[in-house]
Amino acid sequence: MGLENYILVLGFIFGFYMNWNIGANDVANSMASAVGAKAITLKQAILIAGILNVLGATFIGSHVTDTIRKGIVATDVFTDPHVVLLGALSALLAAALWVSFATWKSLPVSTTHSIVGAMIGFGIMAGGFSVIHWVKLSSVVLSWVISPLFSMVISFIMLKVIIRFVLSIKNPYNQALKLAPLFIGITAFVMVSSFLFKTPLGQNLAVDGYLAFMIALAASFIIGHAGTLLIRRFVTDTYQQRGAEEVFRKIQIGTSCYVALAQGANDVANAIGPLALIYFIVKTGTIAEAVPVPTFLLLYGGVGIACGISMAGYRVMGTIGTKITTLTNTRGFSVDFSAATTVLIASKLGLPVSTTHAAVGGVVGVGLARGLEAVNFGIVIKIMFYWVLTVPVAAITSMVVFLILKWFL
Amino acid sequence: MRIPFMSLFMTSPFDGLQEHAEKVKEVAWAFQQAMECYVITRCTTFEDLRNEVIDLEREADSIKRRIRGHIPKGTLMVVDKFQLFRYLREQDSVLDAVEDAMDWISYKPEPGVPEDIQQDFFLLVDATIEPIEELARMVKEARKYFDGYSNKQRDVVKEIIRTLRRMEHDADKLEDTLKRKVFAEVEDPISVFHLVRLAEIIGYIANHAQNAGDMMRAMIAK
Repeated sequence: MGLENYILVLGFIFGFYMNWNIGANDVANSMASAVGAKAITLKQAILIAGILNVLGATFIGSHVTDTIRKGIVATDVFTDPHVVLLGALSALLAAALWVSFATWKSLPVSTTHSIVGAMIGFGIMAGGFSVIHWVKLSSVVLSWVISPLFSMVISFIMLKVIIRFVLSIKNPYNQALKLAPLFIGITAFVMVSSFLFKTPLGQNLAVDGYLAFMIALAASFIIGHAGTLLIRRFVTDTYQQRGAEEVFRKIQIGTSCYVALAQGANDVANAIGPLALIYFIVKTGTIAEAVPVPTFLLLYGGVGIACGISMAGYRVMGTIGTKITTLTNTRGFSVDFSAATTVLIASKLGLPVSTTHAAVGGVVGVGLARGLEAVNFGIVIKIMFYWVLTVPVAAITSMVVFLILKWFL
Repeated sequence: MRIPFMSLFMTSPFDGLQEHAEKVKEVAWAFQQAMECYVITRCTTFEDLRNEVIDLEREADSIKRRIRGHIPKGTLMVVDKFQLFRYLREQDSVLDAVEDAMDWISYKPEPGVPEDIQQDFFLLVDATIEPIEELARMVKEARKYFDGYSNKQRDVVKEIIRTLRRMEHDADKLEDTLKRKVFAEVEDPISVFHLVRLAEIIGYIANHAQNAGDMMRAMIAK
């Protein structure tokens, strides 16, 4: 077995470790509002998140992979496959170490930006500062501001609309049922169009923008009405008492499923991207501009995430379930909807967006709409500090790991 | 800070507000007992009841400080921070007025109220207890309103505020009647002074309850 194969094995190990971390760290973001609003139980959340992350990673993932790798670090300046192998390996390990450390020290970080930072570190080690596309990097910096801000605006508007047209109406429950096709419909529209625009699934179907728009519109109409029929089927008198919240509780099950699916699709690339690069180089001995990601690698990544979710999920989400008691279903829906929409639009614009950032923005928006008895806006500044810190720290860690690995391999 | 999502959520000041309102209610009951004891002359437990009020007041005070101390800059709430503080101050003033009344009573060595006006005193005390009891209910219903922003729930809160105003008006009238009777029927000037002043202090209790209602009206304004 040659040195390359050792590196490949290490890559698989580090890749799994990184995926495990993604699962452990990010599960809270997709399922927190649903668990906090008691739309689903803890067990359901872990089951749904685990399964849908695997499905999302395997069947929808892969497109985002090369955006991160190619966009910010120009891989075409690399000529020595050995250096790139080491670089990818060290980036993977560095990102995983940083995320682990952050999880241990309870620092809020984004796994997406950890890998971006680690890749930058490796790029600098291999080709100097010139290989970094600073314009692309500035788009990362921009996303720290844009994605929470955008999400905040959407959740603010969404909650205001719900209050104005559902909650403050004489019979909120009937009104919620009446407008359910609309709420489910726009959510379905965001989901369907993100699948069509963002994923290889959409590219394989070869639908262009206009057609995709029409498909999404038709699908959202059908899903909206079908979903409402489903909700109506489960209507009993006790639901009437809980009012509109019960209707949104049902809708929220759908939105949290979507967030889990989208997360699997998006985040699997964080760990599988570098792994795919290693795999490609070991198999072919060359470096290509775009590296195909085999489906089995995506599945491998998805399973890694699911393992992280199942092992850390109970502790993380158990805390959420007991700590966040003021989040009701209408609020939770607003947060989920804004996060999903932000992730869709931001990745359409090519920004490496983090679900974490979008979810945080969503909660602040709900707070601004006076939807929660108390939201600590001040904490956002602290959170942002760690967002900013992530990239340089991951980069430096990656550089150090690279130097150490170079010594041994 | 493990989960950024979670660190955004903080303990609601309304929990504290509710707790404070319940404490006020407890004080009201102790006050009622103390007054009943004081008015009929052979009272031996007044000092105990007064100490109970003082203890409860201290507890309520720490709740008040806890609420004020745990709203950092940049907290987003369903109401304005200063509206919340003003409301809390009024709710707390109810307690202070109760304590003032108890203190005032304790300054005079011999207990008791002339038999002719005993009934009027009981009526006045009862008239001030009622609005205090409404406060806790008002906070509870207001929270429900902030949850759903339904107009129906808003009307429930508004109705409580209206009731508070009416109760204060009733208490006012009883206070007037009582003072008139004191001047007409009590001859000892020191007793007159003591009783009139006492009636006024008890009247303040209802006043502060009404003010709390007015602040609540501002909090639920659209």
